Amino acid sequence: MTRLVLRRRPLLAGLAAFGLSRAAAGARRYRIALADLDESPGVTLEGLGFTGTELRSSFEMAARTLPVDMLYFDNAGDPARTIAHADAAIAAHVDLLIEYSADADANAEIARRLAAAGIPVLALVHPVPGAPLYGPDNRAAGLIAGRALGAFARENWPGKPVLGLVIGDLADSGPAIADRVQGITEGMQEFLPAFELARLDTGGQSVRADALLTKFLLTQRGQRLLIATLDDLSAVYAKTAIETNRRQGDCVIVSQGLDRNIHGTASEKKELDPNNRGSVVLGSVAYYMDRYGYDVLPLALRLLAGETLSPRTVTHHGLVTAANVFREYPPYDMN
Amino acid sequence: MRRLLMAGLACLGMIGCIATANAQNTSSDCSKLVPVSPFGPDDQTGATNRVTPQVTKAAAAEIQEGKTISLTNRLVDGVPLFGTRFTKTVLTATGLVPGAALGENGLTYMEDTWLSQSHVGTHLDGMGHIGKWDCYYNQTPMGKYVNQNNMTRLGLENLKSFATRGVIIDLVRVYQAANKLKTNAACRKPCLDKGTVISQADLEAGLKMYNVTLREGDMVFLHTGWVDLFEQFPAQNALYNSGEAGIGVDAAKWLATQKVIAVGADNWAVEVIPFEKPELVFAVHQTLITDNGIHIIENVKTDDIAEEAQKTGRATFFVNMSVPKAVGMTGNFVAINAIR
Repeated sequence: MTRLVLRRRPLLAGLAAFGLSRAAAGARRYRIALADLDESPGVTLEGLGFTGTELRSSFEMAARTLPVDMLYFDNAGDPARTIAHADAAIAAHVDLLIEYSADADANAEIARRLAAAGIPVLALVHPVPGAPLYGPDNRAAGLIAGRALGAFARENWPGKPVLGLVIGDLADSGPAIADRVQGITEGMQEFLPAFELARLDTGGQSVRADALLTKFLLTQRGQRLLIATLDDLSAVYAKTAIETNRRQGDCVIVSQGLDRNIHGTASEKKELDPNNRGSVVLGSVAYYMDRYGYDVLPLALRLLAGETLSPRTVTHHGLVTAANVFREYPPYDMN
Repeated sequence: MRRLLMAGLACLGMIGCIATANAQNTSSDCSKLVPVSPFGPDDQTGATNRVTPQVTKAAAAEIQEGKTISLTNRLVDGVPLFGTRFTKTVLTATGLVPGAALGENGLTYMEDTWLSQSHVGTHLDGMGHIGKWDCYYNQTPMGKYVNQNNMTRLGLENLKSFATRGVIIDLVRVYQAANKLKTNAACRKPCLDKGTVISQADLEAGLKMYNVTLREGDMVFLHTGWVDLFEQFPAQNALYNSGEAGIGVDAAKWLATQKVIAVGADNWAVEVIPFEKPELVFAVHQTLITDNGIHIIENVKTDDIAEEAQKTGRATFFVNMSVPKAVGMTGNFVAINAIR
């Protein structure tokens, strides 16, 4: 059984304990390559709103104070290019490759080539055979959303009938969506054992959440709805539908992701904002894909220092609301 | 009700409970969050206590040619402003209207109305600017010392002299010498790009470049080249405000050990942005101001003095700067001259 390790900030402390802090930067510098999934404009990651560029930027930022020299590749979602980048990393004599590729065949080939070259691999989100894996715990993230919705219903609508509703790219055949929906369902069931769950499939086009939910609301007059959106942009469009149909009193949304579609800076005042505490969007479960570098590079350094990592390390997930969004993502344009 | 529930929801998730944060905001034990001032438990002045007559006299030795170089950017509507700040100047010139001149001697007059926050342009951050929860410099529980209009402790009226030695550290040259300069294409002259973490080693290299050893009471100015974007206002305002090179927390701590009284830079926050750790916001500000009583001076025009230092091989000067006795204010714009 794979051992799960929940980590985020403790990784930095662990890094310091291994003598890999800034003070040790002069001792040995490592050459690490990141092969990013896809940095093409408009492409988002794992059904959420994060982009490949944001993910890469987190590595650039995290690398600033670590003893690493980074090399970056954009796999562009292309298996052939992904393998070519692995070859390029080998040719560049990197000390370690961080591989983010969703193609299982390409990942198997990469594992074989890197092993032959004696270069360790750290896999992001999708497994690479034999490599430690870092990524989200989709079921746990769904569970947090389901529990938040269930708790809301119990607190605000005690004894009243409620209907659960999932909105998102439900046709996505990958395990991530299924795991999230499973977690959402289980989380709601902890509070509402007899509830029913409806589904609205956006087909990956979040904008459709508005029209789909509008139509659905017309069939559910007077029904209280606990809405779990599978991405933040869908939450924003679902909110529009709720407000347009004046259903703020009997609908509530919890989303997945916590990306820039739903939170921003002090000036931007997006949906999750300390000054917007009356929204039907209660919160979003954080995935922190725009901070992966801060977690993954310390892991990589531990691996290079000879430590055996857990087969799977999952990112921290938590519910972020208007009340704590500026603690989790402090803006620098306060005032 | 929804608000209450949301606090509960925050606790339901794996993130820290917001109620804790609120409690810290209202009744923190400041002795656990902020160090006591080395200048005594009642001190409201901070680092300018270090500018003794001896320090000023020693700094005066820097005046060798009587040459003055301004370290102040122009303050005019349109310059980059942090966050949602604004400036608006309105000229009252009714005295020039025909028939409005006064007396047989024809006295006319004009005045300005200035609408703005005070933290604009080249400005100084005072002791009341930055805290940890409600705890400010010298373990001051600031919640007890604010009214609708101003602070009743730590205001600028408590500051002492800034007549001391200034030191320019040219980080552009340091990075060029180390062959690690990553400039920004919008800078017309070389600059350190945003996000560059300036380390203690970088500062020491910059001092060594001009054979300078910091001494107690110095004011340190960092030239990163970013001021070039300020000078291109308003065209580059968005880029200027989008980030900056700056010192990290370790470098700030080292500067504090050098007992300097202020750290200025040619950008809007002195510290690196994006921050070293994304979950820590303006940690250098807390290190310098809150923990050590050291002022931060932002939007300093460092290019001329950096050029002068390069030309002459001398990176030190006498600082001519004063801060108005602005009672209860957290900071204010200033004019700085380097006299050599």
